[in-house]
Amino acid sequence: MTIRRAALAGALALTRAELADMFQYRVVLFLYSLWEVVHPIVYLAVWGAIAGEGEVGGLRLSDFAAYYLTFMLVSHVTAAIEIYTFGPMIQQGQLSPHLLRPMHPVWVAAARNISYKSVSMLLLIPVWIGLVIILRPSFTVTPGSVALFLVALVVAALLSFLVGTTFALLAFWTTRSFSFWEIWIGLTFLLGGQVAPVELLPGFVQNLATALPMRYTLGFPIEVLLNRLDAGELALGFAIQFAWLIAAALVVRAVWRAGIRQYSAVGA
Amino acid sequence: MRILRIVSAFLRAAILKETAYRAELVGNLFRSVINIGVAVGGLAVVFSHTSELSGWRLEQAMVLLGVYYLVQGIVQTALSPSLNEVVEEVHKGTFDYVLLKPVPSLLLSSTRRFVVWHVADVMLGGAIIAIGLIRLEAQITFGVAAIFIGVMIGGVAIVFSIWLALTTLVFWFVRVENITMIFQLFFDTGRYPVEIYPFWLRQLLTFVFPVAFITTVPAQTITGREPLVAIWLAPLIGVVALLAAARFWRIGLSRYTSASS
Repeated sequence: MTIRRAALAGALALTRAELADMFQYRVVLFLYSLWEVVHPIVYLAVWGAIAGEGEVGGLRLSDFAAYYLTFMLVSHVTAAIEIYTFGPMIQQGQLSPHLLRPMHPVWVAAARNISYKSVSMLLLIPVWIGLVIILRPSFTVTPGSVALFLVALVVAALLSFLVGTTFALLAFWTTRSFSFWEIWIGLTFLLGGQVAPVELLPGFVQNLATALPMRYTLGFPIEVLLNRLDAGELALGFAIQFAWLIAAALVVRAVWRAGIRQYSAVGA
Repeated sequence: MRILRIVSAFLRAAILKETAYRAELVGNLFRSVINIGVAVGGLAVVFSHTSELSGWRLEQAMVLLGVYYLVQGIVQTALSPSLNEVVEEVHKGTFDYVLLKPVPSLLLSSTRRFVVWHVADVMLGGAIIAIGLIRLEAQITFGVAAIFIGVMIGGVAIVFSIWLALTTLVFWFVRVENITMIFQLFFDTGRYPVEIYPFWLRQLLTFVFPVAFITTVPAQTITGREPLVAIWLAPLIGVVALLAAARFWRIGLSRYTSASS
C-alpha cells in the first residue's frame, strides 16, 4: 500500500514539474492550440457552404457550428502527443534514467500529456469563447447528455493516450514510427468525425467508423453531448468504446514488455 | 549567370548528399500517397452530399487539392530547409559566415538547402491535377497552360515572400523557431476554394494573407472557372510581395549583431 502511495506522490510531483516546464513555452503552445481551431473551421465552412439556409442530412448550419466548436475542445482534450514526447525519448536513449526510477516510465508521458493540455487549454478558451459569439451555434445539450459526455470524453482521452503510446513505443523497433502514426491520423480524419460528423458518412463507411476505434477518440463524445444518438446507439457506442479501451490497454502492456526486453540505449 | 551557377551548385550538392538516404524517397512517397489519398477521400465524403461546393465540382476541387500539394511540395523541398536554417544560425551567431561570403545574403540564405525527397508531394500533386483535368475533359490550350504557369509562379512568389518575412522576424525576436507555423496555419485553409468561407474570412484570405492567390486562383484558371479576381493580379501581387519581403529582409539584416555582442 505504501508503495502505491509513493508512486502516486511521484506521479503528482512529476506532473507539477512538467507543468512548470510547460509554462515556459506559452507562445508555441498558443500556436499549437490555434492549429486545433483552424481545421474544424475549414470543415465547418465546407458544410456551412453546402447547407446554406437549408440542411444536410438533418443538420443545419447552427448544428454544424455546435459540432465543430465542441470538436475543438474534444480534439484538444483527447489529442495524443506521445509520438512527439515519448517516442524521441526511446530513440535518443533518454528512457534509461526513467527505467531506474521506482515508477513506470509511462507516467512521464502521462504527466507531460496532462500538463501540456492544461496549459494550452487556458490559452485556447478565450479564442473559443470568441468563436462561440461569432458562429452562433445551437448547442442541443441536456444535463443527462453532459453527464454522459464527461464519461465518453474521459474514456476517449484515455483510449487516445494508450493508442498514442502504442505508436510511440514502435520506436523500440523502427525509426519510422511517425509514418505509422500518420496512417492513424489519416484514418481518424476520415472515420473519426473530423471531415464530417460520422452520421454523414456514406452507408458502409459509417458502419466501418462505428466498429473501428478512431471515432471513440474524437467524434463519439461530441455526438453524445449534442444528443445526436438514440438510446440503442448510445449503449452500443459506450460498449464499443470500453471494449477498445481494454484492448488498447492490453496492447500497450504487451508492446511495452516486448520492446523493453530488446531496448538498448544509444551507445550501448 | 553567376547566380545560376551558384544555385545549381547548391542543388547538385543537395542531390549528392541526399542520395545517401534513398529509402527516404520511398518513405516520403508512402506518406504523400497516404496524405493525398485521405484528402481525396475527404473530398469524396463532402461531394457525396452535394454536386457542387460553392460552384466547384468534384473534379475542380481535386485540381485545387493538387495545386495545394504541389505548392506544399515546393515549400518543403526548396523554401523551408534553407530559411529554417537562417533562424537556427541567427540563434547561434553562425549567421556571420553567411554574411562573409561574396554572394548576396538573401540568395545564399534562401537557396542553400534542398530536401529533394519532398519532390514526392510535387509529383503526386501534379498527378491529382492531371486526373482532375482528364475527368473534366478540359480543353487546355497553350494560352491557358501559359497563364496557369504564370499564376502558379506568382503564387509560389507569394509563399516565398510570406515565409521570408516570417523568418526575417528572427532579427528582432531571435527565438522564433516555430513562427513559420503561422504560415501553415493559414495555408491549410487553402485545401478548399476560398469561396466557401464567410465574407470576412474570405477577405482576410484574399487580401491580407493571400492564400486565395496560392491555390484557388491557379485552380480557377486551369479549370476554366469564372475568375474570383482579375488574373493579372496574381503575378503582380507576387512581384510586390517579393519586393516588400526583400526590403524587409534588408531592414532586419541591419539589426543583426551576431551572438556575443
